[in-house]
Amino acid sequence: MAAFRHILPPLLLALAVLLAWEGYCAASEVSPLVLPAPSDIVRALWTERGPISGHALSTLSVTTLGFSTSVVFAFAVSVALHFTPWLKRGAMPLFVASQTVPIVALAPLMVLWFGFGLLPKVLLVILVTFFPMLVSLLSGYAATPQAFRDQLVSMGARRWDVFRRATLPTAREPFFAGLRISATYAVVASIFAEYAGARRGLGIYILSAKNSFRADLVLSAVVVSATLTLLLLGLLLLVERLTGRRYRKAGHVGA
Amino acid sequence: MLALEDLTIRMDGADLVRRVSLSLEEGRITCLIGPSGCGKTSVVKWLAGVLPPGMEADGRASLDASPIATPHPAISYQPQQDTLFPWLTVAENAAMGLEIAGASRAEARARVAPLFPAFGLGGWEDRFPSELSGGMRQRAAFLRTIVQDSRFVLLDEPFSALDAVTRLRMQDWLCARLEETPRGVLMVTHDLYEATQMADRILVMAAKPGRIIRDIPIDTPRSGRDEAALARIRTDLKSLLLEDET
Repeated sequence: MAAFRHILPPLLLALAVLLAWEGYCAASEVSPLVLPAPSDIVRALWTERGPISGHALSTLSVTTLGFSTSVVFAFAVSVALHFTPWLKRGAMPLFVASQTVPIVALAPLMVLWFGFGLLPKVLLVILVTFFPMLVSLLSGYAATPQAFRDQLVSMGARRWDVFRRATLPTAREPFFAGLRISATYAVVASIFAEYAGARRGLGIYILSAKNSFRADLVLSAVVVSATLTLLLLGLLLLVERLTGRRYRKAGHVGA
Repeated sequence: MLALEDLTIRMDGADLVRRVSLSLEEGRITCLIGPSGCGKTSVVKWLAGVLPPGMEADGRASLDASPIATPHPAISYQPQQDTLFPWLTVAENAAMGLEIAGASRAEARARVAPLFPAFGLGGWEDRFPSELSGGMRQRAAFLRTIVQDSRFVLLDEPFSALDAVTRLRMQDWLCARLEETPRGVLMVTHDLYEATQMADRILVMAAKPGRIIRDIPIDTPRSGRDEAALARIRTDLKSLLLEDET
């Protein structure tokens, strides 16, 4: 029932927007080349289901590989920075600066440096998704109540023990928040990387549809991309719920 | 015997605590009482080995006349704040100190298991701290402290978060537990009644800088204490503390 209450409002809102869109297209007689109606997009999706799912699969594999590598990398870097304060002071400005580089400039450079294979796309996904996870992990580590650390240190715990028993569990909730933000960027980053240069993937599909003035196909790919993002978010939610019984029982971290 | 000699703690160049010396004997409860900001908690934190990084300290701790460094396995510490880890069950929380000291998870669980009924936590082992009342949480925290088998226990205002009735119950309950398994206890408190009911000895601290100004032994066993005598001690303590504030 609670899940229904959460799902119903966005579903109703989306339905209202789609109906308004459909009504506008029918009433204004705008050309489908400029603004296809939702029904046109559904029709195009059905007709093109074979090619689009092939491209979507390619985008999904780039996203999965890039995102999972990014999670591992963000965790490893966060641990290194947590235990080495001077490294954190030195590296954080560089990580922040890396986020100011426009993806528009970076994507073609990646293709130029690493070719049309998997590597440039995975690298781009890592670059885009790594930072929110790193920041959320580090802020989670910093939120560990001092009293928890004191309690463990007074028991003779070493730094790694304190990290494992207090710091890491405290960072769980912020980490999942960062993971969700990164997941929303991951599919878009893959598509952008493919857009800059690829043989397969939704990015290259969108590019060729745009060049053929097929707005209906461009929007069909957008629908698929949004679905992939929602699936990824759903998967993360599932992982969070399955692994988090004791954290839900905890209510809140800290005393 | 655990002794602390000439402890001076500085913060931002000023003495927060100056030349504090005290000793703790096994089987006796020593209460440290004084106005807010006199450095009671800092003294206890130094002994526990968890003085905050912004503070500098000079002083010596010794156990049976041998110098020791803190934290030390013979000393366990229970901070003022409730530090039961909310994502761990009561049993996992209770076993934590033993696991850190090197016991395996199974060993630690086996050692804490028989103690739950005596601590009023029988049947609550697999519950989480958020499911416990304030008194039960405090008992779980005591269980974690006591099970560590350290000879000395440092308690920083252990009852401050409890309501008045629970507080009275817990004072009696803790004294009974400590009689079963005697430890040397140093307990910080603001409560004059608590200090006179529980302590075998009261150390009074003054502020700016923090120092011990009076050492009051209470030699009568807790069970035979005369309320009139305790009231006289409380009156003395009150005038000492008020005098220091003016």
